[in-house]
Amino acid sequence: MTKTPYVLIVEDDEWLAEQYIRTLGEAGIRAEFVPHALAAIDSVDAKLPDALVIDLLLAGPNAFALLHELRSHADLAAIPVILCTASADQIAKEDIEAYGVKQVLDKASMVPQDLIAAIKRILL
Amino acid sequence: MKGSRGQLHIKDGLLHDASDLSFLLTAAHELKSPLALIRQLALSLETMQGLPASEQERMLRQITLTSERALRLTTDLMRSSRLEDSLFELEPLNPRQICEDVAHELAPLYKAKNREIRVAARPRPILVVANRELLRRILLNFGDNALHYTDQAPVELKVQMLGAKNTIRMGVRDFGPAVPADLWQRLQSNLGTGAQTLHARPQSSGLGLFVAGQFASAMSGRIGATRHRDGATFYVDLMASSQLSLL
Repeated sequence: MTKTPYVLIVEDDEWLAEQYIRTLGEAGIRAEFVPHALAAIDSVDAKLPDALVIDLLLAGPNAFALLHELRSHADLAAIPVILCTASADQIAKEDIEAYGVKQVLDKASMVPQDLIAAIKRILL
Repeated sequence: MKGSRGQLHIKDGLLHDASDLSFLLTAAHELKSPLALIRQLALSLETMQGLPASEQERMLRQITLTSERALRLTTDLMRSSRLEDSLFELEPLNPRQICEDVAHELAPLYKAKNREIRVAARPRPILVVANRELLRRILLNFGDNALHYTDQAPVELKVQMLGAKNTIRMGVRDFGPAVPADLWQRLQSNLGTGAQTLHARPQSSGLGLFVAGQFASAMSGRIGATRHRDGATFYVDLMASSQLSLL
């Protein structure tokens, strides 16, 4: 029996996070969300996700602070990351490659299937 | 045609300086978030098969409330751009009643996000000199901002008479992750004086606070913020009315 993939969503808009969970659920991918970076660290400590979907601008420490923290732990550094942001056009590829970011999705133009495809691309 | 700090001025279809452009970019960014959410919800309603009726109703309600939030922002932007051309009637108002009205107006949005907003009790009645609509909009902005950064504890609207007895402080206290010190310093130095995206509080702090600052200034008041270990209080200071003390 194959394991159901588990994705942790770090998104401060809980309705958008619910929407991602709904979308991934349709594809058989289990997801949970936390609203900020501090909660994400706690959650990752408690249960290692197969992938992270992170909003760039978060309440409190932003996504880069979270990514820095994850990179500093050997067991967490390998978790693949998808950035889901309304500022996708302002992100330089070279700024994020070192953080394990596999794909950047633009909240304004993505369709729900894009998130599923991005997760499947890195997990399957 | 350039007016007071950072207001949006377009003449002959052209923006006239860098601060106008910065304002426009911030406004566009902050309107993008609610529009992106509405689009995602609508796309799912269009394409997802077999969503339970209750889930569909919930998503439709989220679309409605998110649209209303975006419309509040656009209304404030339009009002802000016309401040210089308008005269605002200032009158003695009951600040607690204004807080009650704001809490009532935001209650559906808070309820939909499983949060609570309430007004703190105040022992003695006081009056504030303000324009009802502008004051209401300042507190709506603070309340909307607080919703995004509070975890579980109820957001509280509070009225205080400051030491000198001629200033009334109306604040909105939220409970969430503390804003890092460097970002807080940046917020304090720019509060209400320029459109900004404060990355630690991305959803509405920049534009909403800028608009609130403009409205406060139109009433000879000012806005400010206090950082707490577990959140923040955003407030507006306005002149107290001496009407009650004359009775």
